[in-house]
Amino acid sequence: MNTNPMLPYPGKLVEVRDLAAEIKLLRVELAEPGAETFKGWQPGQFAFVSAYGLGEAPFGIANMSQDGSLLDFAVARLGSVTTGLHELGEGDTVGVRGPLGNCFPMDKFKGKNLVVLGGGIGGAPLRPVIQTVLSQRLEFGSLTILWAARNQSLLVFTDEYDQWRAAPDTRLHLTIDQADPKWDHNVGLITDLLKKVNPSPKNAITVTCGPPIMIYYVTRMLAEMGFTPEDNYVTLEARMHCGLGKCGRCNLGDKLVCVDGPVFNMLEVGNMMETYL
Amino acid sequence: MSKPDPNAKSRLISQTELDSWLDGLASKQTLIAPRDVSGVVLYRPVAGSGEILAGVPRPVMSVKELFFPPTERLLRIQKTRTGINVKETLPEDQTIIFGVRPCDARGVRLLDALFLDTAPADPYYARRRANTTLIGLACRELGPTCFCTSVGGAPDDPTGMDMLVYPAGSGFLAEAISEKGHALLADTGWPETVIGGAAPDSTDHFPVPEKGRWLGHFNDDYWMKMSERCLSCRACAYVCPTCRCFSVRDEMLGPGEFERIRCWDSCAGENYRRVAGGHRPRAEKGERLRNRFYCKFLYFPGQIGRSDASACTGCGRCIEVCPVGVDITEVLQDLERLA
Amino acid sequence: MFEPKIVAFLCSWCSYTGADTAGIARLKSPANLRAIRVPCSGRVSPELIMRTFDQGADGVLVLGCHIGECHYDTGNHRAAKRLPVLQTLLSFGGLEAQRLRLDWVSASEGERFARITTEFSETVRELGPVHWRPEGRPRQEESRDLPIPSRTILFQEVDFTLRTEGIRAKARELLTSGQVGCLIGYGTSPRGRTRPAFIYSSEESDRLVWNADCTHNLSGYLVDKLAANQRGHPNENGSHLRIGVVVKPCDSRTINVLLAENQLSREQIHVIGVTCEGMRKEGGGLQQGCVSCQERTPVVYDTLVGEPVHPVRQCSSSQSDEIIAELDKARPAERLEFWLSQFDHCIRCYACRQACPLCNCPTCLYERDDSTYVGMGIGLNEKRTFHLGRAYHLAGRCVGCNECERACPMDIPISLLNQKLAVEIEKTFGYRSGLAVAPSPIVTILSGEYKEG
Repeated sequence: MNTNPMLPYPGKLVEVRDLAAEIKLLRVELAEPGAETFKGWQPGQFAFVSAYGLGEAPFGIANMSQDGSLLDFAVARLGSVTTGLHELGEGDTVGVRGPLGNCFPMDKFKGKNLVVLGGGIGGAPLRPVIQTVLSQRLEFGSLTILWAARNQSLLVFTDEYDQWRAAPDTRLHLTIDQADPKWDHNVGLITDLLKKVNPSPKNAITVTCGPPIMIYYVTRMLAEMGFTPEDNYVTLEARMHCGLGKCGRCNLGDKLVCVDGPVFNMLEVGNMMETYL
Repeated sequence: MSKPDPNAKSRLISQTELDSWLDGLASKQTLIAPRDVSGVVLYRPVAGSGEILAGVPRPVMSVKELFFPPTERLLRIQKTRTGINVKETLPEDQTIIFGVRPCDARGVRLLDALFLDTAPADPYYARRRANTTLIGLACRELGPTCFCTSVGGAPDDPTGMDMLVYPAGSGFLAEAISEKGHALLADTGWPETVIGGAAPDSTDHFPVPEKGRWLGHFNDDYWMKMSERCLSCRACAYVCPTCRCFSVRDEMLGPGEFERIRCWDSCAGENYRRVAGGHRPRAEKGERLRNRFYCKFLYFPGQIGRSDASACTGCGRCIEVCPVGVDITEVLQDLERLA
Repeated sequence: MFEPKIVAFLCSWCSYTGADTAGIARLKSPANLRAIRVPCSGRVSPELIMRTFDQGADGVLVLGCHIGECHYDTGNHRAAKRLPVLQTLLSFGGLEAQRLRLDWVSASEGERFARITTEFSETVRELGPVHWRPEGRPRQEESRDLPIPSRTILFQEVDFTLRTEGIRAKARELLTSGQVGCLIGYGTSPRGRTRPAFIYSSEESDRLVWNADCTHNLSGYLVDKLAANQRGHPNENGSHLRIGVVVKPCDSRTINVLLAENQLSREQIHVIGVTCEGMRKEGGGLQQGCVSCQERTPVVYDTLVGEPVHPVRQCSSSQSDEIIAELDKARPAERLEFWLSQFDHCIRCYACRQACPLCNCPTCLYERDDSTYVGMGIGLNEKRTFHLGRAYHLAGRCVGCNECERACPMDIPISLLNQKLAVEIEKTFGYRSGLAVAPSPIVTILSGEYKEG
């Protein structure tokens, strides 16, 4: 275990593939002692990935890996660090710091019906939740997945949809914002889809991740549909630089997204002094 | 409010004895003290006691910059054909700081609570702390913008010091506070005494509103109104003994050579929270300034588990440097009076 | 033998081809030249040249098409105007002026290319390795003080009552009639300090004051305040309320520059111009910037408060003028040391930039996330780059209100840079900023100021 929390563990890129337009999936293999540190990490946590020479940025860990040796990160190309990560290839070295933050209380989710709502790249930190549920299918109730993106090219993890659909008591609903001749499924915002699917709030937990504005409208609609705020979980983001609660940048009022979050339930979010919008 | 223990053994010394002791220290290792730098008083290395300016208002910058410097190298990165070498670069120098004001030392203790006592500990800050001895100098008088007594401090408060020197008559009383201080004092051979020093009376007391008040007035229009004159210049945060926001980035040093550095930043700045997509939360000046005050009196104390305290040490530097007269004591008084 | 590292910016259409011509004719050009091909010499921005020196170049050569032959018509006019100003700035900062050269070479002038590059290489070789970067400089414990000790010019007390009354009366009128929605003036803090005040109703007019401490340049608030207004609710007729502002002569010049740069339009503001004999500085005495100020009456206003009077004292040369003269006399290495020791205690807080009414880029070039022109750190190299770059960005625009220096918590004499460039611009272009609504001369095309030498 590093005594210096700002010193990353070296990781090797064992797979780099296109996940969606301008979004890549980076699979990092950690050697010891990095793997040991990451062992037992929980869905919802995140890590800082370094493109050495440019900087590092926080990403939700996008897979479920028990021994900590393999970590998936979905990276959208937006700034200098993410561009640097996009330019790396298999075999290249990156740095990884973590696991950081709190996690989804998967134990609380057991026995409940889960509604998972992912918007765009926001689906990435939700994937470990889905994978956990699928791997312990009987421990959880029904699984309803609503997956959205602005257009078809921005949908993530498309190659796993069949696997999700095939699981027992699991439904997958897809939607894109605007109609496209090549698109057979729903058209409209995720809130439209939510209205259509109309999941029951009884014995249910929701998990939402996506752009702040999507989180806002989805959670508002869930409240209207009768879901209680404590049962609606979200994972928030705010610009981070250290991820350790030191640099002070990610605060929403008196809460630090990096240590008090990034997972919050909507009761906590409702009580926050500052809005995440 | 901490006061020196009246029964503790102090040493009574003259100015000359103090000066010659400081000269001795300066000859053996790096001695940092307030001195003139192009017309500005700053904590800087001194060659001897003659350069020390201790009897004037406190230095423009607090001692924060000696433990948490404006720019600090965290890692050294080398990219070669065979791979990437990454090495942490921890600070090494040993220093003694003389003339630390009690408000500054309180600030150090608050930063300790965040950087050391709240996991995970920051090794860079920790190393500098371990390698530094703080010798405080109590204030003879309070400056026009000082209000340390309103926030739990005092002009002779020993919190955070290793040793405290306070004016007593024509000489000084030197008292050991920590083990490091005891060791240092033991070497001097100065005679012991049990006389105490007298702290100057504070004139202004500003109320610090209790937590409920802060929580209750968060959405008040007051914050937008009082911040209109703010320039978002960040000078207040940089001179503050406890503001500690920082940015981290990799910079190139040469072909294949990089360093990961961290440097000061402030929530008062316009682009502090700008995200990669261009969205800027806290776009309004009022939101930023409100955040700064709330962090100082509510968030920071909460983060270090001291909700009863404030992270403001009452040094008054922010009041002096603000080009447009934003005044933290005025804010406290206004908040206390808001309906 | 010392081989200078020279970076040559060559324009595609002329000088780069000129280099080829030289090569084909087997004419000797220095091998130590690192050529960078650009579409036009006008594209070679001063920030880029500064970055080049920051990264260790011993010399920078910019070669473009002859004036009148630019492929883009007037691109090289930019280079012709801007680079000499940059040269002045860098020289003032301690970089030998001969390390930067601008010249013109056409596509067919292979011989000229070879001659100029050889000449330049020899000049730089004679100057020796550049000592621009602070690393490797011996640790300076002593600060290099200002060459002239600070002195205080007596501040003469004047009666301000009439002007205070005048401002209050006008404010009352404007706010009552709804001509403005907000008025920015000067008020007094509970501690007794004068500071900017924003009032919204005529009842608040008595908060406004006029006194010897009205140093702030309030025109700096206009652009943001107008934008904030736009975000609010419009009036019934679709317009947004105007903003009133109290200005001194120097501040009023700022308004002209803002107008010239389309940062706001004239009908959006009501300018209350106040005559001024100079302001007092903290601790007593006349403000630095006021000592040699020539204007007593604002140059643009809707309402004038105060009687235009003759100067109450002789306008002597200010201390800044004397310091600049001393620095000009010193050797480049001495000037370098002076500035490095001044920037040593800069904390890069950006108070100077924020206080400046004309620094209003949404994202400052020197605060970019990708460190293109300067790194993020608060090191000596970065701080100097920021200050020199900012001074360059204000060339031909700065009105000398001195807010930057007043705001600096470290008392660094940064406005010396602005003043030096203002003098240079006046000498070269006969231009002083803000006296009329006109753009800075270095962004316009040539009109006879430049003769190819």
